[in-house]
Amino acid sequence: MSSLTMALRLTPYLARSSGSSLRETGLRDAGLPILAFGTVTALLLTVAGGSQVFWSWTDDIAGTYQALAVVAMVLLIIPLLTLGASAARLAARRRDDRLASLRLLGANSATVVWMTVIESTVLAAVGAVAGAGLYACTAPFLGLIQFRGQSIGSHAWLSVPSIAGCILAVCVLAAASAALGLRKVVVTPLGVRTRQTADGAHWVRGLIAAVVVAIGVVAMGMLSSFGAFIVIIAVMGGCFGLALLALNLMGPWILRLRASSQLKRAKGPEQLLAARTVLESPKESWRQVGGVAMTSFVGVFVGVGMAVADTMGTAGDTEATLLVRDINTGVMITLLGSFLMVACSAGVNQAAAVLDRASTLVALDRVGMPRKLMVAARVKAVMSPLFLVAGISAAAAAVLVLPLTGAVLLTRPVVFLTIGGVFAAGFLLVRLAVAAGTAQIGQVLARPERYASVDS
Amino acid sequence: MNAILHAQQLTKHYPGSIALDHVDFTANAGESIAIIGPSGSGKTTLLHCLAGILRPDAGSITLNTPSAPLRLDTLADAALSRLRREEFGFVFQQGMLLPELTAVENVALALMLNGTDRATSESRAAEWLAALGLAGMEQRRLGELSGGQVQRVAIARAQVTGARVVFADEPTGALDSATSTEVLDVLLHSVAANGRTLLVVTHDPQVAARCQRVVELRDGRIVADSAGGVHVPAAPPAQTAAPIHNAADNAAAGNNFKGAFNV
Repeated sequence: MSSLTMALRLTPYLARSSGSSLRETGLRDAGLPILAFGTVTALLLTVAGGSQVFWSWTDDIAGTYQALAVVAMVLLIIPLLTLGASAARLAARRRDDRLASLRLLGANSATVVWMTVIESTVLAAVGAVAGAGLYACTAPFLGLIQFRGQSIGSHAWLSVPSIAGCILAVCVLAAASAALGLRKVVVTPLGVRTRQTADGAHWVRGLIAAVVVAIGVVAMGMLSSFGAFIVIIAVMGGCFGLALLALNLMGPWILRLRASSQLKRAKGPEQLLAARTVLESPKESWRQVGGVAMTSFVGVFVGVGMAVADTMGTAGDTEATLLVRDINTGVMITLLGSFLMVACSAGVNQAAAVLDRASTLVALDRVGMPRKLMVAARVKAVMSPLFLVAGISAAAAAVLVLPLTGAVLLTRPVVFLTIGGVFAAGFLLVRLAVAAGTAQIGQVLARPERYASVDS
Repeated sequence: MNAILHAQQLTKHYPGSIALDHVDFTANAGESIAIIGPSGSGKTTLLHCLAGILRPDAGSITLNTPSAPLRLDTLADAALSRLRREEFGFVFQQGMLLPELTAVENVALALMLNGTDRATSESRAAEWLAALGLAGMEQRRLGELSGGQVQRVAIARAQVTGARVVFADEPTGALDSATSTEVLDVLLHSVAANGRTLLVVTHDPQVAARCQRVVELRDGRIVADSAGGVHVPAAPPAQTAAPIHNAADNAAAGNNFKGAFNV
């Protein structure tokens, strides 16, 4: 029997066994990944739908709009893809224990990989279809948004093949991330069960990120020498996209460095636990705060956009006035999308983090750790690196955008005010998500038998 | 003997079943007590009620402390939490240790929760680990230790604070028979050497046979108590993997720990 056939036979059994307690574990097993995939799909479709109007214009100023649209799309789509990958890992991680057990029972690597991929893809498909439904509900409102004095109207609607393509892309992303995310289960099932080693976050990540940003700065400085307009747009979009990916790559390494230093200085139990939580899995910790890093990056562009609009506001002619208004509209949409992404990312990852640590929380409660200390450790683990990651992201964005804007524009008060506002809003969203997670700790401790076996 | 923990008419219901049915139970200072019974007999529920993890639906639980008797069934959650970290120690089947911490940090955490500074906590934790045969393994993560070594870490954590009562729930349940004997030796010796009370929930007759007293539960009621001269099941000789020491042996072997840990 082939591995795929075996996986197709076994997967429904796993689904059925969790179904018996779906009310208790439904959120943990399926709800969170579906919610995340749904949000990702809805936002991706909204961004794609909202921006297609720009490509229908052919006049002189169309190029300016198209360049700005590319920047906005890259700033939204890269974080959305990372959120999608995060949701896929979440879907796959839910099954770690059972899949490791299957490996111990003799299921081969290929069967386990196929089962993981099938489960994650099914969850992604359900979420993506729900997201498409959400997009269909919001598209009429999206059509009311005005650019160049006219509503987007029917341009907000994507064609059915485009929507199907987006759903397919989300499913492929989920399948690929799940297969990659479960490499450890496949290679060492016992290792996953006993968590022999902490996740690594090598310094090479920092080096690669620095090189990418440096290349980006050079490329942005040479932008005008690329000649063709389409090449300039491609280089600009590519630089911003790669810089965002580089930040994602570097983030876990930065968090590991910081947590190592905090571990040495830790005096109390909450400091020790917070530092060890980050060191246990810097990548998972990054997922908690990565959304704010992305938003901070976006915040610099938003600030620059506001500054440009502020400068042009005095120009006087109709076309310029419309462009200023449209830049403001685009900036607000980008910002709104970015915050929606942060809220979804923070909420999903916080809920997942508490559920993943439920048995640890029960253990701590039983040995007498006060709940407020558990909460303090959790808040510290998430909130303390936020300033650092937000600062580094904003700095990377500022360095990239500097060759385009020059120092005068970048240092206008409106830029600092906007970045400050974005920081504050991002922090608030993450703090709210942590507070929701804290409430979840109470729910976990109120029903410990769900997470630790109790033989009556 | 001095009663340290006393339960009266303890009753606990779960939806559709009764886990404890008017149980009277007394643990004396320095005793090692095995609580045995089939699955679902209520032994873990009894342990959790006595340890302040679960609240009984009815009945009282009194802990005699040097200052004054404490009624566990009337204490607030925060006070119970404090009691668990100051007066009690726990060894569970899966250890219930924190996988992200090293061995020494897991043990030291119990002291840090009571306000001891980190350096002192880790120093005392390292002493305990060394005494339990884990010298040189302090900085290892739990995933790098064997099952028996993990249980030794749990035993050290349970006692490093000077807990007067140690609760163990199937402490050898996940171990092979040879490792199980080693872990039980360590648990019994270290507890006896420090004059602590040990309550062990177990399915294993060999574990029960090595405790000073055996209490048997069935359907939420105590049906046998060796302290009252009631029949106690003995370990089947054919399953004996290693010499079984009696309580006197335990006490003698425990002298090794007395000097090192007079807590």
